[in-house]
Amino acid sequence: MFKELFTYRELLKTSVSKEIRGKYKGSFLGVLWSFVNPLLQTIIYSIVFSILLKNDMEHYTTFIVIGVLSWTWFTTSISGGTNCIIVNGGIIKKVYFPREILPISIVTSGMINYLISCLIILIFLAVTGIGYSLNMLYLPLIMIVQYVLQLGILFMTSSVNAYIRDAEYIVNFFVNMLFYATPILYASSMFGRFANILKLNPMTTIIDSYRNIFYYQTSPNFTSLAIVFIVSLLVLVLGYAIFKKLEKGFAEEV
Amino acid sequence: MNNNDVIIRVRNMTKNFKLYYDKPNTLKERLVFWNKKSEERTVLKNINLDIKKGETVALIGVNGSGKSTLLKLMTKIIYPTKGKITIKGKLTSLLELGAGFHPDFTGRENIYFNASIFGLTKKEINNRLNDIIEFSELGELIDSPVRTYSSGMYMRLAFSVAINVDAEILLIDEILAVGDQHFQDKCFEKLEELKNSDKTIVIVTHDLNAVKKLCTRAVWINQGEVRMDGNPKEVIEEYLKVCD
Repeated sequence: MFKELFTYRELLKTSVSKEIRGKYKGSFLGVLWSFVNPLLQTIIYSIVFSILLKNDMEHYTTFIVIGVLSWTWFTTSISGGTNCIIVNGGIIKKVYFPREILPISIVTSGMINYLISCLIILIFLAVTGIGYSLNMLYLPLIMIVQYVLQLGILFMTSSVNAYIRDAEYIVNFFVNMLFYATPILYASSMFGRFANILKLNPMTTIIDSYRNIFYYQTSPNFTSLAIVFIVSLLVLVLGYAIFKKLEKGFAEEV
Repeated sequence: MNNNDVIIRVRNMTKNFKLYYDKPNTLKERLVFWNKKSEERTVLKNINLDIKKGETVALIGVNGSGKSTLLKLMTKIIYPTKGKITIKGKLTSLLELGAGFHPDFTGRENIYFNASIFGLTKKEINNRLNDIIEFSELGELIDSPVRTYSSGMYMRLAFSVAINVDAEILLIDEILAVGDQHFQDKCFEKLEELKNSDKTIVIVTHDLNAVKKLCTRAVWINQGEVRMDGNPKEVIEEYLKVCD
């Protein structure tokens, strides 16, 4: 697998850049939309929750922007990527190339967007006076966990979606639901003894870890993160196996 | 015959397509029509074919005989139901020109997209860039967005990329009809040149004159089976007898 991906590395590169630049080509703000969107979302949440619902958490906007940006990477990968086989049906029917490049480039372009949008977090940390700490160096570690998890899920959903178009809508529904079952707008500690149920969702640990290094300026909880990493690896292996099994029929199904 | 020379080997290969009158694409349809039988149609029956390095082979036959399916199987776009295909060496298919073109990007950028689909690295593309642009005869237009191109220009660019990929095996499906007479002649010359440089070419076409001029071997496929295999002139003669 790796050998072939290496041969096709240029395709991977161009499709990642096409994914990032092509999406907003023709619009006035261009790539900036990738950052404007989550920012606007953050502003709305912070108005609703801190002004209307009288939430008095300190630096609440910074608190949610960390969650929202990581979640944006998740939704653009999973909700936005599930139809990647169908959208690219035209080329799949006509040329051979390693099909796994499609989901990989979706998750990778999301990662690059996330990495750039971390600048927003840095600005928030500076403006609010929370400041920076060396714990932020754990960032790549957490990102790897999130990357592996998302790629695994996307391998499954995108390949199944080629056969059953409903997968896309089912996935969208679950992702929307999961938004509320993930501590994006609230802290998982607010749940008290139910917090453990929340931890069944791997994104909980991932977002908590981002918050640890940016907002609380501590190191992530390594035990939880390691467990989530192992689970994510299993998801990736399983997802890749499913993808490989189903990819032989892609050209006939799309 | 030396076995090592065989670059494309097809063994006992059968390909079935599922025929649905109404393909169940959604979950509801799959559940409601779970017992709906899909018919299988055999497009290729037990094909055995060895193509040696350096051969220029034409696949001929009437529409729907399975020629294009055979080419698609060779490129690994679809997979055989039974049997096996082994390919040695780098393969380029000119089944579809301009795959991966993005209309908003310039011709130059699209060369990179398109060539990368064939598995070229940036360095390899850079080396070929001038050849590609020159062959396409697009001149300064190469830096305009592809959506501003005429369909002929679009095809010229696409063909130029595909033919300059420098693969050991070229699979060509009915594309000799690209562009005007001048460009067609040029493509033909390029194919001759590739043929003489020991490339393996498999071509699907209805242009029997081109087959006679270009190919060293012709394979007549009829209703999913190899009907005749050999010298182009003889095969075409037999083929025309049946057609008339």
